[in-house]
Amino acid sequence: MASISIRNLVKRYGSFTVIPDLNLEIADHEFVVFVGPSGCGKSTLLRIIAGLEPISSGELYIGDNRVNGVPAAQRDIAMVFQDYALYPHMRVYENMSFALELRGTPKAEIDARVKRAAALLHIEPYLGRKPKELSGGQRQRVAMGRAIVRNPKAFLFDEPLSNLDAKLRGQVRAEIKALSQQLKTTMVFVTHDQIEAMTMADRIVVMQSGTVQQYDTPEAVYERPSNQFVAGFIGSPAMNFFPVELRGEQIVFSQDGADAPLDVNSRDLLRKAGHGVFGIRPEHFSVTADAAGAVAVTVRLVEPLGSDTLIHFDLAGASAIARVDPALRPKVGDRLNLRPQPGRAHLFDGSNGQVLR
Amino acid sequence: MTDAPITDAWIRRLNLLQLVVAGIIVLTPTLWMVLSSLKPSFEVTAYPPTLMFAPTLENYAQLAETTPFLSYAINSLIVTIGSTALGLLFGIPAAFAVSWTRISWPAILTLAARMAPGTLFLLPWYVMFRQVGMIGSYTALILSHAVITLPIVIWVLLPSFDGIPRSVFEAAQVDGCSVTRILWRIALPLVASGVAVASILAFVFSWNYFLFALVLSNGDSKTLIAAAFNFIGEGSTQWGALMAAATLIALPPLILAALVQRWLVSGLTLGAVKG
Repeated sequence: MASISIRNLVKRYGSFTVIPDLNLEIADHEFVVFVGPSGCGKSTLLRIIAGLEPISSGELYIGDNRVNGVPAAQRDIAMVFQDYALYPHMRVYENMSFALELRGTPKAEIDARVKRAAALLHIEPYLGRKPKELSGGQRQRVAMGRAIVRNPKAFLFDEPLSNLDAKLRGQVRAEIKALSQQLKTTMVFVTHDQIEAMTMADRIVVMQSGTVQQYDTPEAVYERPSNQFVAGFIGSPAMNFFPVELRGEQIVFSQDGADAPLDVNSRDLLRKAGHGVFGIRPEHFSVTADAAGAVAVTVRLVEPLGSDTLIHFDLAGASAIARVDPALRPKVGDRLNLRPQPGRAHLFDGSNGQVLR
Repeated sequence: MTDAPITDAWIRRLNLLQLVVAGIIVLTPTLWMVLSSLKPSFEVTAYPPTLMFAPTLENYAQLAETTPFLSYAINSLIVTIGSTALGLLFGIPAAFAVSWTRISWPAILTLAARMAPGTLFLLPWYVMFRQVGMIGSYTALILSHAVITLPIVIWVLLPSFDGIPRSVFEAAQVDGCSVTRILWRIALPLVASGVAVASILAFVFSWNYFLFALVLSNGDSKTLIAAAFNFIGEGSTQWGALMAAATLIALPPLILAALVQRWLVSGLTLGAVKG
């Protein structure tokens, strides 16, 4: 078990810089999720921690050891790959015991550790099978088992759920979370799925273009996004954005000049920024009979999800979504007054996307 | 839509026709060779060729009487097995290294050496081996035949190694394997059928290679294929004995290929489709 410290890390492929300058501290026992769109550098960063990619410059520490240039074999970390990467010619037992055998662990201990991990992951009946005789979910468990038996300093997961179907993904997600609480080991998990990030992480690293956009708890990332990118990436459906500006003492939508439902405090912020972006999550609209402080919209599309209903509408030239009570049963063409819930509106700088409030 | 079955039937017929034509092209000389070896010597070169004849083993008897056939066969086996083993010993790590590093020029270099005419090597080798007193030795023949076996092993195994998902090697790295151990414990078992194919092809090509043995061997180390050349003389070629020798020479590779036919087919297609 160990902390992971990344200092001024740069990663280049030839003249192409994937990670320009990255600093990150992952505490011992912490479950950290790297999340971001494809090509943001999250998998590269994980592979650098694993020792599968060299560092162009900067420093990487696992525990107290500087591991720049230390081969993967000597880093004492375990990794679960997206395609599981099981050894096709070995049975499940051998897949799990292989790393221990390499380290010269006594046979009796290997056997005990493999059986303990197999029991933990419910894969005891498959120990004698080859990987090709297992389903996707079972292979995934074997890959986790192979990592667990080693009792490594840190676990690395590279999008391990992306090959599973939706139901199994939810199940395994919960199992990994439970496992992390049980094993109390440092875990780094890479995903492009923000639901996985939100549900599993102690802290989330939101990445874009090789830079850390925000590194905080799931609640903080959701409630207090540091910029428009994070606000738009975390949350499903995504946060609605509307360009706004100050005209006189009035905050209006830039597109049509209609009054925007923002409070007085936003005025001073906008006065400094010049123009901004008003952001509100779909679940933070309230449907109200009273038009004061609300925007009147026409329902364009209704998506009933059972637990709640998504209403699509157009506002100030942008397409937007509100999540409302299913009992409301709105119909296409209905007029609704939507009011941002108090304290739930976000305001971003129109020029650089940084949060203003 | 009713045309489809007719088209399928025609495709099947064309496939059959292709097989028959290919079979005729490949099997006619083989059949000719075997039949000629069983003909009395005066009938071997008869024109038009005789199809009906009383089979005889006189050519085989002549072969046994006039040549130390068994010694030549043992020479061939020593050179072929030696050069195949040498090809595998260096070719397996070389193919793995090329696949691992994705640096392909060394493999291309070996292919160029394989494609170059054998005569290109003969003079320098003759001079070199004579300088060190190795002309006529098994070592000289085995080393020279490695030029044939090494590129075969590398190029047969390269797609097999490339076909293994990279993440399997990376998982082994993370598990604590050195690159050498990854080759022996992970990669090699996964390309076993490729190794079988490479071994057979290397064996066959080395077994049948004539030129190096002709120049670099002597009476004691002459291989079968070079010895068979003795039956061709100026104006007095012993065709019957030559055909008998050729038939016997062709047997080991044929038996070998038949024994490992299933591996041969799966190995040749390995790497084409990800498992």
